[in-house]
Amino acid sequence: MSANVKAAVSPYPKKRFFRRMEAYLLLLPALIIIAAFFGYPLSKAIQLSFMHYVLFEPNNIHFSGLDNYKSILSEDNLPGILFNSLIWVVLTVGLQFGLGFALALALNKSFRGKNVYQAIVFLPWAVSAFLIGMIFKLMFSERNGLINELLMKFGLSDHAVPFLALTGTSIYPVIAAMIWYGVPFFGIMILAALQSVPKDVYESADIDGAGKVRQLFQITIPYIKPTLILTVLLRCIWVFNSADLIYVMTNGGPANSSHNLPSYIFNKIGYSTDYGQASALGVMMLIFLTVYAVVFLRATKYDEAGDI
Amino acid sequence: MPLLLKRKGPGLIRFVMLALFLLGTLLPFYWMFITSLKGRQEIYGDKLTFWPEELTWANYIETFKTSNFPHYFANSFIVSIVSGILVLIVSILGGYSLARYRFKGKGVIMLLFLGTQMIPVIIMLVPLFIAFSELNMLDSLTSLIVTYTAINIPFCLITISGFFQRIPVALEEAAMIDGCGRLETVVRIILPIMLPGIVATFVFAFTAAWNDLFFGIMFTTSESVKTVPVGLNNFVQKFDVNWGEMSTAGILSLLPVVVLFAIMQRYIVAGLSQGAVKG
Repeated sequence: MSANVKAAVSPYPKKRFFRRMEAYLLLLPALIIIAAFFGYPLSKAIQLSFMHYVLFEPNNIHFSGLDNYKSILSEDNLPGILFNSLIWVVLTVGLQFGLGFALALALNKSFRGKNVYQAIVFLPWAVSAFLIGMIFKLMFSERNGLINELLMKFGLSDHAVPFLALTGTSIYPVIAAMIWYGVPFFGIMILAALQSVPKDVYESADIDGAGKVRQLFQITIPYIKPTLILTVLLRCIWVFNSADLIYVMTNGGPANSSHNLPSYIFNKIGYSTDYGQASALGVMMLIFLTVYAVVFLRATKYDEAGDI
Repeated sequence: MPLLLKRKGPGLIRFVMLALFLLGTLLPFYWMFITSLKGRQEIYGDKLTFWPEELTWANYIETFKTSNFPHYFANSFIVSIVSGILVLIVSILGGYSLARYRFKGKGVIMLLFLGTQMIPVIIMLVPLFIAFSELNMLDSLTSLIVTYTAINIPFCLITISGFFQRIPVALEEAAMIDGCGRLETVVRIILPIMLPGIVATFVFAFTAAWNDLFFGIMFTTSESVKTVPVGLNNFVQKFDVNWGEMSTAGILSLLPVVVLFAIMQRYIVAGLSQGAVKG
């Protein structure tokens, strides 16, 4: 797909050498930064995961084999946290995708004030997770919370519910906040993809008498499939890796019941300062993600999807 | 009637959907805004009000008096703008290389960039914390700038490379035949065409840096280097969530991003549809 601007053959050998290396030289800064900020931390984290490394015990740092992994796997909290991680990703990305798609379809036609409208509905994407967490915490709060007020007003509940303090379900309000945050991202990406579908395809479909719904499933979706697949893949990874909303809204509580994997790791870093265990958990996350990405790309046949 | 519905139906559905999305988006912002204008008693009182009974600017005055908020602001600006620019420079160089040259190891490098997206940021916290502490760089804006630059490069570089690919090579060749050097061609002809894409990428990198919480919490301790999210976070602990001031600080922290977004959003969508939506 990418075209090749051929380097002119130069009679001076030294110049030719630089011409040949140009591609690498241009990439060099990026590669150095990636080696330093991804390569190094990654190898260090793998190393730490096999060590007893607690910040409070600076004189007791040593190689400990698989101890960190063993103690994590035998933790009582783990099954719940894994389950949370799963529903966190599935519910969040599923609903973000559905709503984002609907938004993009609704926006894929010009109307008056569209620019202003877009600027507003895309805004949550630009807001910090910290702030979103605080707003939703305020809205979901038991005492004088907007959500409780509305529920009682419409007769859906006769008393105020302490949503963020319910063991086992306190992660759902956080998921709601996360969905609100991520719909615009899907909206932007899908809208951009929709706008790249050539108009004449629809014109000929109209002439052939294909209805709007059929056009959606037989033209639009296949055409933008690569974008959809890649966006979902990336979002799943980012959502799986994101912890800040949980940290802000429930901090994993009550009793660790609303942690996902990364927020639990952050908790470990902050409270027990057991960097070894935290790293072991991180390495496990990375393994999950790798398996997920490979399976996802195979299952969606990304390689065979049409090129835009 | 059914015929009318059939003709007006799609438009009506579209209108209702657009209205619902608008409402859903605005409600949380609205709630934070009116909370910032309420007095303490009204916020914690028994009756919930949808518009402040007694409109007061007390929270705003209090926030400016008691917090280092303007300072956090300045820090966030420096960090986000500098790292955004650095991301652009590195990404334009590398993105051009990926889009325009054929060379050995290109596939591997692409895979490397995509692979970095899989590394959980949370496991990078500890190693980077240790490294920065050994280099004596903790508690400085520099540590935040370089970290944000690094974590935003892979995505931005691939995006920019996509933008380059969308621009016909013929355009470049024509300019070179006219006697432009390669650098001149890129700077004077290609980059201006790509402007929407470049703006979109910058906004992406800027907001990512502006909004980060965890690196800020880990790397900074003194007031003088705290960024907005970290400052807000402290604010909460210090006052045990003073919702009035919290909302006020929240509204203030939103302003720059809102302005940036309102000005740039046209470029963002244009930029993304120009190419690179494939990733």
